[in-house]
Amino acid sequence: MATSDQLMFARRLGPTARLLIWLLIGVACVVADSRYHALDGLRDGFAALLRPLRETMRAPTDVAAELGGFFTRHRLLQNERDALLAERAQLAVGANGARQLARENAELRALLKLQARPGQQVVHAALLYQGHDWFAQRVTLDRGARDGLRDGLPVVDVSGLVGQLSRVYPESSEITLVSSPEQLTPVFVERTGQRGLAAGSGHGRVELRYMPTHADIRPGDRLLTSGIDRVYPAGIPVARVSRVTRPRSTPYLRVEGVPLAGLDRSRAVLVLVAEAPPAQAHTPEQPTQTHSSPAQTIPSQVTLP
Amino acid sequence: MSTPHQPAGVWRRILMTLILALLLEQLPWSGWALALRPDFLLVGVLYWTLHQPARIGFGTAFFVGLLADFQHGAVFGQHAIAYVIGVYLVLFLRLRLLQFDPLRQAAQLFPILLTLQFAVLLVGWLAVRPPSGLAILLPVISNTVLWLLIAGWLRLWHGKGLQDRA
Repeated sequence: MATSDQLMFARRLGPTARLLIWLLIGVACVVADSRYHALDGLRDGFAALLRPLRETMRAPTDVAAELGGFFTRHRLLQNERDALLAERAQLAVGANGARQLARENAELRALLKLQARPGQQVVHAALLYQGHDWFAQRVTLDRGARDGLRDGLPVVDVSGLVGQLSRVYPESSEITLVSSPEQLTPVFVERTGQRGLAAGSGHGRVELRYMPTHADIRPGDRLLTSGIDRVYPAGIPVARVSRVTRPRSTPYLRVEGVPLAGLDRSRAVLVLVAEAPPAQAHTPEQPTQTHSSPAQTIPSQVTLP
Repeated sequence: MSTPHQPAGVWRRILMTLILALLLEQLPWSGWALALRPDFLLVGVLYWTLHQPARIGFGTAFFVGLLADFQHGAVFGQHAIAYVIGVYLVLFLRLRLLQFDPLRQAAQLFPILLTLQFAVLLVGWLAVRPPSGLAILLPVISNTVLWLLIAGWLRLWHGKGLQDRA
């Protein structure tokens, strides 16, 4: 029995009780965030709080890159200039061709009464921070809703599709990379025009799902976005096929690819902002024009490049 | 280590290290460095829990865990729960950990940190890809009932009553 100078009960909760309380709060947070998206305000707050820190901590690497660039040798610069001049000449030729093709394309579209592709506007953004999540590969950009970004917009770099905006804060935003697991991208094979669905497989790879075993696809084929989903414009390079195997267990080919964009290398990216939000599917004249369904417009866009 | 007569100094030191950890996490890590990057915030919180348990505890760990959740773009609560479990384990083993030299302390912390990583994985899995229905938990109830039946039956078999006679 407790004597009069002993406390019958400890005044503070024991560690186990406190652990249980905090675990309950934690579970409540998980449910509130994942089911009801109730904590987006907190996320915005953290974003505003951490953005200056992220930009500050990026400064040392920027300075290092500047210094490295300053000490680049003269000869290297000359070589680079020569290469650039040659490339510019080539591009000028290409641009002429493209202008001609665009005019021809416009005429053909007018003939077919197809709607022109919505005008694209680009926002330049720089990579700020790479996340470390088990379930998705995310990268943070330094542009956000203030620059007109929205959820779901495609992000590209010089060589291909990087991913899709998945969370947008006022001053920054998060991309889910093409190679992130469960990230689906409708694509077509550049050589044959066959359509398919590329899914991220983690580890910086993508795989092409549900390709029948007789499909004509070889290592080295390029996969471009098909534009069938109206999220990605058609014709953005996504990946290059690296391996094709025929497993016995499934009726489908196992096609692996390496993303073309420098997912963990490139520091500057472009966000493609379509002018109109993708709500065109509900316009009244849409159902009457059977020709303008997305699946029908693809073949004409395939021949664009 | 502990300097109870200088509370302000200790607070300042704790705050400085946590801010330093946060800054280190903001560096643009990539590639192998990203894969190997330690969780500075977690290590900081666990260190101060070990040495200043009266100041740093569950609440701080939870808040810092929320910051880490934002940092990694994860669901809110994923790292917070893991950090809280970490604080509990460190408090549980505190007297034992304080006796060891740094090498043995690190060896003792390894399983704790491994547990925490699995906690992050488990919570994230439950939040992102929840299993179909919570019916998988129903056997817990039937198991308990089965236990009751077996234990009661065996006691009756041995000629004892169902209630304990004090």
